[in-house]
Amino acid sequence: MTAAWKAAGLTYNRYLAVAARAIRRSLKEDKRIVAERRAVSELRFATWKNGKPSETKDLASANAAAMAESASS
Amino acid sequence: MLSRAARPALRAAAAAPSRAAAAGPSTAATYATLREIETRLKSIRNIEKITNTMKVVASTKLTRATRSMNDSRKYGEASNEVFKSAETAAAEAEDKKSLVIVCSSDKGLCGGIHSGLSRTIRRMYAEQPSGFDLVIIGEKCKAQLQRTNGKEIQLSFAGVGKDIPTFADAQAIADQIVLLPTEYTDVKILYNKFINATSYEPTFIEAFSEEAIAQSPNLSAFEVEDESLGNLREYSLANSLYWALAEGHACEQSARRNAMENASKNAGEMIGKYQILYNRTRQAVITGELVEIITGAIASEEM
Repeated sequence: MTAAWKAAGLTYNRYLAVAARAIRRSLKEDKRIVAERRAVSELRFATWKNGKPSETKDLASANAAAMAESASS
Repeated sequence: MLSRAARPALRAAAAAPSRAAAAGPSTAATYATLREIETRLKSIRNIEKITNTMKVVASTKLTRATRSMNDSRKYGEASNEVFKSAETAAAEAEDKKSLVIVCSSDKGLCGGIHSGLSRTIRRMYAEQPSGFDLVIIGEKCKAQLQRTNGKEIQLSFAGVGKDIPTFADAQAIADQIVLLPTEYTDVKILYNKFINATSYEPTFIEAFSEEAIAQSPNLSAFEVEDESLGNLREYSLANSLYWALAEGHACEQSARRNAMENASKNAGEMIGKYQILYNRTRQAVITGELVEIITGAIASEEM
């Protein structure tokens, strides 16, 4: 049996990140602010072909897009 | 770096007397060098202030970075414990294709820790020219390896090193690596191992592929479904990445602190030297002026 998150195309890490976000948001105000700082990720990335980089993209949105694609297929 | 920057001024100072002799009125020339030394002195003072501030900033960041490094090390070790007891080893295959993840950062001014990583990769490349692909985290190593190993690079990440790396960063990177089209027999993470405050060593962490985990001889000790092995692999990759990123970050801060300390020390030495030179030149100018006045006075008396 495949889990629902797997069927939705999420990777295990993404599943964990979503779960962690839910827990962080349910914390009390003061603790939540500290905890949510641990969830920020401002990474950008580029894929390389034959020694040339492509355009840099935002990592978080690219990951979300890739997972949405794998969900529909 | 600083000494090289200062060289033109030294040369100018050395060249000044000869220029003065050629130009005629010596007072004008000495005034010019005096002014020159003064501006030079001022700029070195500014540099010292900047490096000193950077040192202080790096020191405060270092304490936080070491704390997160110690925490993350626990994560990494705990997740590796599973593989140790399962006796997992890298899968043996005919055509090995490994993936090397290099954990550097975006920022420089921290001595040679980034070039240490690049050098390790180049040495590896010299030993086995094909057979591995690169994923590079951080602009610095990207710039260095782009020239020599541009063809091997598959992915590069930017935006690390501003703050302490978060687990969210590591997860996002791990996800993107999992999405790579090529199947790799093993994944290695190259990072700077923190030995003590002054020495670091480029080290590899092994992250295993799904087959390698499935083939590990002692896996039956754990009662798991085959499906969850893929999850384990992704999660352990994120864990190891987090460990490597945090430890690399701590190394970087500590290296930056040392580099800035040395730079401040050098600047201090130069300030001392220039201060002496400045005072001497000033005295020489005053003496020269006095001599001129006295000579003039004596000459007018005798008339």
